[in-house]
Amino acid sequence: MIKFRTEITKGEEIRYISHLDYASLMERAIRRAKLPAAYSEGFNPHMKIAFASALAVGVTSDAEYMDIELTKPVCQPEFFDKLSAALPNGVKLLKAREFDGKAKALMAVADLADYEIKTKLTGAFSAAIEAVKAFNSADEAVYTRTMLKKVKTIEAKQYMLAPIELKECEENLVLEMQIRITPSGSIKPGEVLSLLKEQFSLTVDVEGAKINRKGLYSGKKTLIDLV
Amino acid sequence: MVNLDPALLQAVVKPARYTGNEINAIHKDWETVDCKFALALPDVYEVGMSNLGLKILYQVLNNRKDTVAERVYAPWIDMEEKMREKNIPLYALESFNEIKAFDFLGFSLQYEMIYTNILNMLDLSHIPVWAAERTLEDPFIVGGGPCVYNTEPIAEFFDFFIVGEGEEVIGEVVDVFISWKNAGKPNGRKGFLQQLAQMDGIYVPSLYDVHYDEVAGVSVTPNCTQAKPKVFKRVLKDMDAATFVEEPVVPYIDIVHDRMMLELFRGCSRGCRFCQAGMSYRPVRERTPERLRELAKLMQQSTGYDEMSLTSLSSADYSCLGSLVEDLLADFKQEKISFSLPSLRIDSFSIDLAHKLQQVRKSGLTFAPEAGTQRLRDVINKGVTEEDLVNAVTAAYKQGWKTVKLYFMMGLPTETDEDIIGIARLAQKVVDLYREVNGKRGVKVTVSVACFVPKPYTPFQWFGQTELPEFERKQKLLKEHIRDRSIHFSYHDARISYLEGAIARGDRRLNQVIYQAWQDGAKFDGWSDQFKYDVWLSAFEKCEIKPEFYSQRHRKKEELLPWEHVTPGVSKEFLWQENERAQLESLTEDCRRGKCSACGVCPSLSVKVVDWGKKND
Repeated sequence: MIKFRTEITKGEEIRYISHLDYASLMERAIRRAKLPAAYSEGFNPHMKIAFASALAVGVTSDAEYMDIELTKPVCQPEFFDKLSAALPNGVKLLKAREFDGKAKALMAVADLADYEIKTKLTGAFSAAIEAVKAFNSADEAVYTRTMLKKVKTIEAKQYMLAPIELKECEENLVLEMQIRITPSGSIKPGEVLSLLKEQFSLTVDVEGAKINRKGLYSGKKTLIDLV
Repeated sequence: MVNLDPALLQAVVKPARYTGNEINAIHKDWETVDCKFALALPDVYEVGMSNLGLKILYQVLNNRKDTVAERVYAPWIDMEEKMREKNIPLYALESFNEIKAFDFLGFSLQYEMIYTNILNMLDLSHIPVWAAERTLEDPFIVGGGPCVYNTEPIAEFFDFFIVGEGEEVIGEVVDVFISWKNAGKPNGRKGFLQQLAQMDGIYVPSLYDVHYDEVAGVSVTPNCTQAKPKVFKRVLKDMDAATFVEEPVVPYIDIVHDRMMLELFRGCSRGCRFCQAGMSYRPVRERTPERLRELAKLMQQSTGYDEMSLTSLSSADYSCLGSLVEDLLADFKQEKISFSLPSLRIDSFSIDLAHKLQQVRKSGLTFAPEAGTQRLRDVINKGVTEEDLVNAVTAAYKQGWKTVKLYFMMGLPTETDEDIIGIARLAQKVVDLYREVNGKRGVKVTVSVACFVPKPYTPFQWFGQTELPEFERKQKLLKEHIRDRSIHFSYHDARISYLEGAIARGDRRLNQVIYQAWQDGAKFDGWSDQFKYDVWLSAFEKCEIKPEFYSQRHRKKEELLPWEHVTPGVSKEFLWQENERAQLESLTEDCRRGKCSACGVCPSLSVKVVDWGKKND
């Protein structure tokens, strides 16, 4: 089985597309690149590609991962150049590595994500430091997620690998957080921000926050270094 | 340049409708061009992006070095609210420059019930909605598309219309514009419009006076020497030479027709008497299969799509369809491309083709018998018998299909209750056939019934539309006669068809009504969840105009119709003759391969039918 694992981005230009739309744009790019993609058998063949943990609409990423299966061998430079040339604005191919295909499914391996949130600071920076400090030292912080009438409470602290770090940058507040992804669930960075605002008095613009995934890891390794 | 705050985009549904940057979108430096053209469709992104006509014009205009074309669609209610709140003007998806900064804003006019959106988009662009109030600071507002054969109800909102196929004439318009601009814009807006009015296929409503007479009808006549008394549509003679959309913009989000569109041919001369497209896109002109295969390849390479639709008004009539399909399937075997035929003919040839094309997914099959009895099908010249339907459906069941959709209309001329009940009977027959073929139950038949709206330039353009309570009675009657639980019955909101009926055959007095309806909050009227019937009724009342005058009145042959000065080339005599033949339940042959029916299009436009099958006979 010939497989490539790729490290790709989801940039500003396509910030507002969904995970599903992201997958179809990659499929179309692979067809434009004329790579010998493998398809599933049966009446409704689909391209054999797989992605790691899904990104929310509105979130950009420097670290998306996609596996693709090919029917014929293609050398790495050719794969890299052909796919790069076919990608739209907003997706960059950072790395591509051929692997034997026995590695675990991408979706299952990621256990940690690194996020940077940039948002307008509406109060004093010192107050923001206090708010984040309170969150970092709290034993628990419960977020209530409402999705289509379903309400679910999530204890956020269990997913925070390290204390949230805070910087001030040209009237913006920059928060860095490392969030665990576990088989039983995780929390979204936007949800942590809401939590900080609602329960820890952080005065920020939540809706206008720009969230970027900086890294996605499995056992401290980036997903591409796993293969 | 418009800058959108992420907080705003996060707060609206489907923000990718408003952010552009798609594959194959063309971005040009505005400093390098002489003409900036915004192409609009007054509906949401997903609808607008699916329109083939605009894709063609986008390519034609951007192929010119001196011109840039960009796209703009109607923002959905939530986005409009935000834009108004933050005073963000309507902008184009490529440069994010505001629409007001363009030289032209062209609207594709697909159906009448979207006219209020035009006003709304002009208003969001800070452009005066009335043409008469515009200055040299404003773009020229131009319309085109299927509704162009009666633009009187919106004539006062537009500077000019392009009548017929736009890909040649739009370039001529740009040429005239650039030379007018370089000459220092002599005689202002009017100077430019008077030059345009001399060209074939251009209608400038402000250069015509309207005279209303209770008995004689409505006459629209030139008020200056430049304007032509009769504006004929533009038409391409050679489809192989026509610009083709080799590199269509590929959206990131799912749109209505999210696939490649391979246009096999233009026109349809089957001659269905209710059908405006059939009359106004004549004559039939096919592309050669060789050219189509070439174009399909280019398009697939530039988009990466895995689905291609073979589009036309009646694709199954393409003369070389059988061999073309074989060739395309072979050409794209590697890429796993699936093909679809949007319009199936009611015969087993079509079923075999559909089977070949849809080896993958057995989605539903759709047929349009249009009427429930043979008598009424003859009235409308549908040329389909019950036997045809039985054969087609039997073939489909044998191939494994289990879902059939049947399209009908109600309110057709000469229709009786028997014809309505005939719809139920025919649907039942289609259900029963399944058991006969497969020996078991399990079929799903959807019966979809539209309310007939008589349109200009059809043989039924004189016909008084069925009244609202009568439509509702007929819908109830049909419902009562559909008893089988495998039949799903769906029908249109008759109130929308009632208003569409008034606007479709309206005159210039309706500009006030549309303006009033928009002022009172009407928009997205074609969307049933947004349709505000009361607003429309009160708008008519406020303007002291009765919609029935336009929709329900039977017109006389002698009456001057408000749309006679702009024509697709079919003669009034032909249409009247077809109207009379309808009353006699007498059929008229398709001139594509049969006898010429003397509709007048070919001689008046110097064009010919191009059918490669006919040539080979």
